[in-house]
Amino acid sequence: MAAIAPDAIKRQSFRLVMWLFTLLTIVPFALLLLTSLKSKQDLFRGAFALPAYPHFENYVSAWVDGHFGTYFWNSIIVVVPVVTCSIVLGLLTGFAFAFLSFPFKRSIFVILTIGMMVPTEAFIIPLYYEMRYLGLLNSYAAMILPQIAMSLPFATLFMAATMQQLPKDVMEAALLDGASRGLILRRVIVPLLKPAISSLGLFLFIWTWNEFLIPLILVNDDAFRTMPLGMLFFQGRYTVNTPVLTAGAVLVIAPIIVVYLIFQRKFIEGLTAGASK
Amino acid sequence: MKQSVLDAPVRKNLIFVLPGLLLYSAFVLGPILAAIYLSFTEWNGIARPDFIGFSNYLSLLTDSNFVTALKNNALLMVFYCLLPLFIGMAFASIVRSLKGREQMAIRTLLFMPYIMPSAVLGIVWHWLYNPAFGPINQILKSVGLGAIALPWLGDFNFALPSVGMVATWYYCGFCMVIFLTGLQRLDPSIFEAARADGAGAAYTFRRITLPLLLPEIRIVLLLTIIASIKSFDLIFTMTRGGPANSTLVPNIYMYQLGFQLNRYGYAAAVAIVGAILIFTVNYIVHRFVRPADGGSR
Repeated sequence: MAAIAPDAIKRQSFRLVMWLFTLLTIVPFALLLLTSLKSKQDLFRGAFALPAYPHFENYVSAWVDGHFGTYFWNSIIVVVPVVTCSIVLGLLTGFAFAFLSFPFKRSIFVILTIGMMVPTEAFIIPLYYEMRYLGLLNSYAAMILPQIAMSLPFATLFMAATMQQLPKDVMEAALLDGASRGLILRRVIVPLLKPAISSLGLFLFIWTWNEFLIPLILVNDDAFRTMPLGMLFFQGRYTVNTPVLTAGAVLVIAPIIVVYLIFQRKFIEGLTAGASK
Repeated sequence: MKQSVLDAPVRKNLIFVLPGLLLYSAFVLGPILAAIYLSFTEWNGIARPDFIGFSNYLSLLTDSNFVTALKNNALLMVFYCLLPLFIGMAFASIVRSLKGREQMAIRTLLFMPYIMPSAVLGIVWHWLYNPAFGPINQILKSVGLGAIALPWLGDFNFALPSVGMVATWYYCGFCMVIFLTGLQRLDPSIFEAARADGAGAAYTFRRITLPLLLPEIRIVLLLTIIASIKSFDLIFTMTRGGPANSTLVPNIYMYQLGFQLNRYGYAAAVAIVGAILIFTVNYIVHRFVRPADGGSR
């Protein structure tokens, strides 16, 4: 029998340990999925015991009785305008920062970067009173408007940075052809920026979908709650009904997992590259 | 700055900047400035705010709850920053030697918690930790470790580490991915040269890998320290600062002061201190954690 090099053994054991930790990382998600398919009786037979048959009715109760259907649509109603408006505004302001001159450009740039660092917690109290004054508490606008404003600095800096890397002669050629600046932005820059715009859209989707503090403070009517908030209040109401609670959790994170698995390369590269700036 | 061919008179440029800036001023910049003003006042949310100068900040110095919150925050940094930093680095050096698809699979799975809503993860872990029917204690009991099946989040001593471990779990994969990218950036010939010179693995790591990874270490420190100061969602959904303030952090304290006790001015001061801490950390990390050659910004 050929002796296996000790180096190879070491490498294989490291690899095994690595897989062990990886599985450990996703065990909570697996448990979540498993438990969401159990009946209440199944729960007493151990965390990893399989149910006799999958209880999909837990999802129906979460969706209907647990109002997750409402929360889901609320999340969609908030996410769609936030993502589209933030991208459009990011393109406009980013275009201005990349190519145009206007007063206080430097200072405004600094103010935007500061805004990226200040946590929402720091200004949530005035924001609450502002929304109350505007009569917007308990509305979709209370979640949409601040979320767009909070996304603007990142969207602007990200779009400006990518636009600055575009070849100048393309825009010069378009300008010589008599195109207006709006047209150049729409017909020349946007098509060239498609990969960056889709990354931006992905991040904005995740950040908005996951947002917790804004809806926690600015919305307390169940009819407007988004998914993470709905989850919290559902837990308060049904703390004993674990299968339905976990079904609800699966409903909240399933869309993210699907989007993540489709675009995972873009995600990981984008988020880590964005972080290293 | 060099003029772009697309530039035009300011009047015509403003149409591009104003919509975004107006929205930003209305819902971010304005509230930030208002929060700074409020932090110098005493305000119950109804009457006119009373300007009281630095009183709120002075009271914070002797407020035992706030000191507890800061202490807890410092302890949480072990779980938010140090553990993910070390574990992430160890993982990255193992995963680096794996090939294409396998590396990709591990990377994808380990990164997964990072994109999830932390509030929902808090609720999920609240269930996992449940003393009566939570899976963690069920597993412990089934393998004969019933003695250490504690009420994790309800125990004064274990609540903070239990919350902290969730944060470690959350950030490990993220740190791993950053370090993996960093390792792949390095030139393999450096390591070959080191091996040819007879350098051991530990020596190579300490003297070559670690210094070359400084930019990545800086990013990881910056992001995780800031995240620990910002921590709210996870703690709010797991313990709300309890039991007996054992997991109280500044942002939770801010929430209690403002939205439960109606002491909005004082709460604003807590929030502003948090923001100042973030800027300080940012400055310190940028200033002091830098490559030896000083080449990076």
